[in-house]
Amino acid sequence: MRAKWLWMTGLTALVGAAAGACGQGQAVFNVDVLSFLSDSTVPYDVPGGVGPVDSTVSKRFSLPGGFSRSTVDSVSITGAAGLHNFSGGGTVVFDVFFAKNQGSLFTGTPYLTASSGHVTGDTTLSLIPPQTVSLADTVFHTDSLWVGIRARVTTDLPPLTHMIGQVRLTELRTHIVLNDKFF
Amino acid sequence: MRTSVIGIGLVALVVGATAPAAAQGLIFDARRIGMGGLTLGRSASLVRYNPAYRAVPEAADRRGRPRVTIPIPLGIIQFLHDHPHLSTDPAFHPDSAGFNPILAVNTLLNLPVYLEVKKAPTPTNDVVFAIGRNELRVNLGAAAQLVPEDQFGFGGSSRLLDPGFAIKGVRVSVLGWLHYDLGIQLGDTLLRFLRDSFPASDSTGYSVLGSGIAEGGLAPTISYAGRVAGDSSTGLYLGGALHYYFGAAYVRSNVTAGFRTDSVIFGGTNPATPFDSGLTSYSKAGNSPGHGVGGDVGIAWISGPIELGVGVNDIGATLTWSDTRQDSVFYRDSSFSKPFRSHVSTKTKLPVSYVANVTYTVGKTTLGADVLNAGRGATVHVGGEQRLGLIAVRGGVARDQRKRIEFGFGGGVRFGGLGLDVGFWTHTNSLSNERGVTMATSFSIY
Repeated sequence: MRAKWLWMTGLTALVGAAAGACGQGQAVFNVDVLSFLSDSTVPYDVPGGVGPVDSTVSKRFSLPGGFSRSTVDSVSITGAAGLHNFSGGGTVVFDVFFAKNQGSLFTGTPYLTASSGHVTGDTTLSLIPPQTVSLADTVFHTDSLWVGIRARVTTDLPPLTHMIGQVRLTELRTHIVLNDKFF
Repeated sequence: MRTSVIGIGLVALVVGATAPAAAQGLIFDARRIGMGGLTLGRSASLVRYNPAYRAVPEAADRRGRPRVTIPIPLGIIQFLHDHPHLSTDPAFHPDSAGFNPILAVNTLLNLPVYLEVKKAPTPTNDVVFAIGRNELRVNLGAAAQLVPEDQFGFGGSSRLLDPGFAIKGVRVSVLGWLHYDLGIQLGDTLLRFLRDSFPASDSTGYSVLGSGIAEGGLAPTISYAGRVAGDSSTGLYLGGALHYYFGAAYVRSNVTAGFRTDSVIFGGTNPATPFDSGLTSYSKAGNSPGHGVGGDVGIAWISGPIELGVGVNDIGATLTWSDTRQDSVFYRDSSFSKPFRSHVSTKTKLPVSYVANVTYTVGKTTLGADVLNAGRGATVHVGGEQRLGLIAVRGGVARDQRKRIEFGFGGGVRFGGLGLDVGFWTHTNSLSNERGVTMATSFSIY
């Protein structure tokens, strides 16, 4: 059994050893998080004069095995979204969260955030939050991760005029640098 | 499990990178190191691979060859100084946070017998992975050059002992023999993925092809070596040996192992499904022994300052194993093997190995060259020695099994019956594309 395991693990080991052969170099993971999201659109329909009201989508995705035993050096996150407001008026704040579990996903400070400012009527605009960089982020010290997108809507009066629209995520990438022990 | 993965990773790299070192064997003689590994006289490869050399007189004094060489293992001293608590040194323990796989592999590749005066630099680039739901790409950077394009491994045949008696050039003996070979080759898709940073495709297999064999036994042998023409200064020597091989045991395995990507690589919980398949054949000790016949031939010609020789071993050495069991190997959630066939007849073949050498001696100058193939590719050594009174100066060039050129140089000083030699030799055995330099030292007794 052990001999057979040798053959089976040889392939993985070859990759690992070759990567390990990079001496003090780091393992860098560029993850296209957007591609993991089956639904990257957050619709909203909020009566006037209320808010903030949250509309969210979330998704769990897997990272390659090894993250849980690695030391995360840094994580930088880049994102972009498009807002299409169909009717009504107010503000939309677009947030992106990462968490190890779903329960804690939309708590705390978002990794990315961008505000539409005041919009009214049929309006289309881009939301491009600044890239964030965090060091030694333990959230990414795991083999699977939750990503959540939130549209936080605050509407204008009158109440009968709903603010209707959607935020569509157009880009979400993470650049994760591991220090060691990936393999 | 992680320990196993790392361990096998080290093994895989060691297997690949030690090929040249294993084939040429460890050299403890600083004189040979200084001549790029060139063999002069009756030592090492010549007598082993050319049966005619058993009859060629030593003429040790002619080339200033020592009778005994005692290596001075400065490398061990250096290693123990750097790692005084080896058994607890975290750098060599995969479970430790301080584990250094590069150091561990390079230590195995370059056993610390010699002093490493210039360590080959290891690539220190980042490794970049691009990951998406249906995307996986790896860029190993400069380290990609370390991924072997061709089959890599090591192997050869050894003769462990050869007790016997000789009467007038005819010798009857019993030879202990051993044949081993381990080869690994990356499949095309895996090679492109690792070396060329080619994106992984979904529903695609990425595999390694592995083959290995080990067999050993005894061989009653009758051989002849003698001078058939000329005299001790100018003569033609022939040698030959006929072996009847008894194989005590053998095992041979051919396995394809790897993984298959999912229909959407990261679409589910299992992006890659491992697979393996193969056939292992073996005959345990106690089963019917393997049988086979093979032979060696050799010729050496000595004419004053010139010496030529060619020897070939294990010609036609095919063994038949009449009681072989075969097991199939496959993967279903984990690896299994099950009996495939029993009591079948299989054949194995010892590799034909050869050596060709030429030596030219004039005055206090000796020049030489040899080509040695111990079963896994030829190595070439060209070198020479110039003796200047008490001092000797040496140099040489070698082409190893990876077809890389290595350089040797060195010198020695002799006081009466005692000599001290130093040799430097470049090598590419480390996890690096650049050469390192080792320094060997040895005492010689003349």
